[in-house]
Amino acid sequence: MNLIMDNNDSPLWQVRAFIYNHFADTTQPPTVEETARHFDISTEEASELYKELHNRHALFLETETLTVRMAWPFSAVPTIFKVHAKGKTYYANCAWDMLGIPVLLQSDAVVEAVCTETDDLVQLEIKNGQITNYDLLIHFPLPFSRWYDDLVFT
Amino acid sequence: MLLFRSEEWIDKWCRRNNLERGEVLAISQVWELSKLWYQNRLSLDYHGRSVEQVAEIFKQAGLMSKFWRV
Repeated sequence: MNLIMDNNDSPLWQVRAFIYNHFADTTQPPTVEETARHFDISTEEASELYKELHNRHALFLETETLTVRMAWPFSAVPTIFKVHAKGKTYYANCAWDMLGIPVLLQSDAVVEAVCTETDDLVQLEIKNGQITNYDLLIHFPLPFSRWYDDLVFT
Repeated sequence: MLLFRSEEWIDKWCRRNNLERGEVLAISQVWELSKLWYQNRLSLDYHGRSVEQVAEIFKQAGLMSKFWRV
């Protein structure tokens, strides 16, 4: 597939959408080499687009690498927020993102998560747009204005 | 953002980590926020959000306090 060059930003958003759809299809992000092959561009060009997406907070790369760690709500690394949907198991970055994955996939889901401090394993079901287990709470430690200061902590 | 059984456990976690308490939402409210925040994320047309769009989503989710100011 070739990149459509209808404006300067267009390749960037095509690569963003490819990364997200790859995550949705496989539970993992594509490598920069896979993205380059998909769009028939050089690895260097794909690398620059990955870096620009990181700079725009459209995804988060592992420090000083081209490895996608987060494309919200997806996490490329295992976490305590596991989402079973569409016959696959995804990891979410946080308690909010575990709810974002079924929304993004437009799918029913079973979520397994660990409650902080008590270490209880809880299971939530999302079915027909409704969520079970209403008595749980989610703590947002930082105001929105500070979310991007330290994304791993956030 | 972490998941908790109760307010009591949130306070314990904040004390133990020497952190100020942030904002606590019921999971049902976060579900409503998720629907607004993530609904079109797979689309080629999603190009990120402006400050105004983020503020509108928070408003629609009923998040109007200073904590959610963009």
